[in-house]
Amino acid sequence: MMELVSLTKSYDGVSVVKDVSLTVENDEYLTILGPSGSGKSTLLRVIAGLEWPESGTVFLDGLDIGDQLPHVRGLGFVQQKYALFPHLTIFENVAFGLRNRQTDPLRDENEVRRRTLDMLHLVGLDDLGGRMVGQISGGQKQRVSLARTLVAEPKICLLDEPLGALDANLRERMTVELRRIREALGVTFVHATGNEAEAMAMGDRMVVLDNGRSLQIGSPDQIYDLPASVQVARSLNAYNVMAGDTREGVFYHIGHPLPLPPGILDARYYAVRFGSLSILEAGGKADASDGSIEAAFIASEFVGSRMVYFFRDDHGDILEVEQHLSRSDPLDFSLGERRMLAWPVAEVLAFDAAGDLIAGTSRGIAA
Amino acid sequence: MHQLTSLKWILGFYTALFIVFLYGPFLVMGIISFQQGPEGGPQFPIIEWSTFWYKHVMGFAPPSRVAPLPVGEALFRSLTLAFATMIVSTVLGTMTAQAFRTQFKGSGFVFYLVVLGMMVPGILLGLGMALVSDQLGIARTWWGTTFVLHVVYTFPFAFLVMLAIFNRFDSSVEEASWTLGVSPARTFRKVTFPMIFPGVLSAMLFAFTLSYDEFPRTLFTAAGDVTMPIAIYGTFSVEIHPNLFAFGVLTTLFSLALLTVYAILMAMSVRRSQARSSGIQEEIA
Repeated sequence: MMELVSLTKSYDGVSVVKDVSLTVENDEYLTILGPSGSGKSTLLRVIAGLEWPESGTVFLDGLDIGDQLPHVRGLGFVQQKYALFPHLTIFENVAFGLRNRQTDPLRDENEVRRRTLDMLHLVGLDDLGGRMVGQISGGQKQRVSLARTLVAEPKICLLDEPLGALDANLRERMTVELRRIREALGVTFVHATGNEAEAMAMGDRMVVLDNGRSLQIGSPDQIYDLPASVQVARSLNAYNVMAGDTREGVFYHIGHPLPLPPGILDARYYAVRFGSLSILEAGGKADASDGSIEAAFIASEFVGSRMVYFFRDDHGDILEVEQHLSRSDPLDFSLGERRMLAWPVAEVLAFDAAGDLIAGTSRGIAA
Repeated sequence: MHQLTSLKWILGFYTALFIVFLYGPFLVMGIISFQQGPEGGPQFPIIEWSTFWYKHVMGFAPPSRVAPLPVGEALFRSLTLAFATMIVSTVLGTMTAQAFRTQFKGSGFVFYLVVLGMMVPGILLGLGMALVSDQLGIARTWWGTTFVLHVVYTFPFAFLVMLAIFNRFDSSVEEASWTLGVSPARTFRKVTFPMIFPGVLSAMLFAFTLSYDEFPRTLFTAAGDVTMPIAIYGTFSVEIHPNLFAFGVLTTLFSLALLTVYAILMAMSVRRSQARSSGIQEEIA
């Protein structure tokens, strides 16, 4: 178990990690979601001991490791750019830690060989041990980097955007691989990523980081269904967020009235999931109880099993509509075509002036 | 198009001139070294081709009115000095460049302080050192005062070479090694050093050659125990015989041999890194 206690780190007076506290359980997959510049890499580097925090510390199994150098912490760290040793073969890269580590280095070459080959087998690189680093592909490098870290059996493995440099196809395969490898070894993974789909798909729990602060911690579906604040809703890239104010139980998005669930009087942000919006027939009218807004079509995107349509409302805000192709066929619109977008009021989340979710907003869990 | 052709000619002429000035003196030296001896002097035309002066340098020639070159000990001193200077300067240069990677406070100032060593005129530094050592009662020796000045002179060159190497060095591999539980010292030995080795070779070459033909600093600080450049200069001032040229050819060949070793080591290192990136190398394991 690892505990982060109010870690704070700044560069040249600009704080990058602000007062982050967090408990990482044993044998769990924790993802840290944050856009670039949110401080997620810095947070991992502080945990690994590669950067010193201004304040706060890290406990590993109850032991304060805050003032230890990286090589005695016993944490694994997989970097985004792999950082393989270019002068060594793949086999030597993986065996490097076993042979050279300060604590308990393996003297028995047969043992080194056995464990290295086992690990290469686990990551599916059985035949590549003799290659040099320049002779393998990006996905293979990623797996070597992972194998090199995991062969030492660290208690906790930190992964800094491990899939960031892979192409989409490989990324999807590695997503499955990573979970499989983690479960096979029972190592705790702390995986930082800027991709919300990756964070949600892979994490047993996820942390949403923005501007150096931890905004919400919970299981991915908890966070997805009830983002604690408007920043979380935005970083999930699954909500249309509109700003405005509330008068007598009605939300005004720059003059345009939108219905709110009952009992909400002070909403300043109004959010509806992409998937909750539907596009009405040309000239169609929304139900009086539903929320609706008229917007012009900009573009559409085909994403495998679903279509995403982009509309712009009269205030210049972009609204996204997600439609699963298992339910309906893709639609065709001409550029600038105006349609009514509507959604059930029960799907609406409201946030107050500070950006916090207003209690009392609850929404049926939509598929 | 016309302009381009004339530019080509101008540049070609410039290059030819450059090569003539670079190799001309050596060519002349080479030719005269085969002058007939011991009567022939450093002049054209060659009276008769012979290898007399080579034998004379090596000490095989029959005694004549031309005294043998006093190079034996001087050569030993020069080589020892150059070798020691090369080791010390390269180690210091690498360590200093390594320190500069951390961007410590005042590093800008220290940078100029270090580089000053190669900016200060050598003759002033040599004279200054001689005065200081006399004041402090330190004996002037080639292995003491001279050695220190050679290090002061060559260390900035080694440092600059290593600084350039470290500027292109991606430190994430070192971080990877630390997080694998490998201590910083062992990381340097196992990861950093093999990767910066070509740079270290260049720094060594610089330090060696600069020290090997250093003149002004040595002149004032070596007292009676002369090094090669000073021994040669000493014989010039009396009378010039072609034995000097024969010796010049021999030392140049020696330098070429050194350069060849450097080139081979470099090529091996480059070939290894090319194999890394292009995949020529066969599987080893």
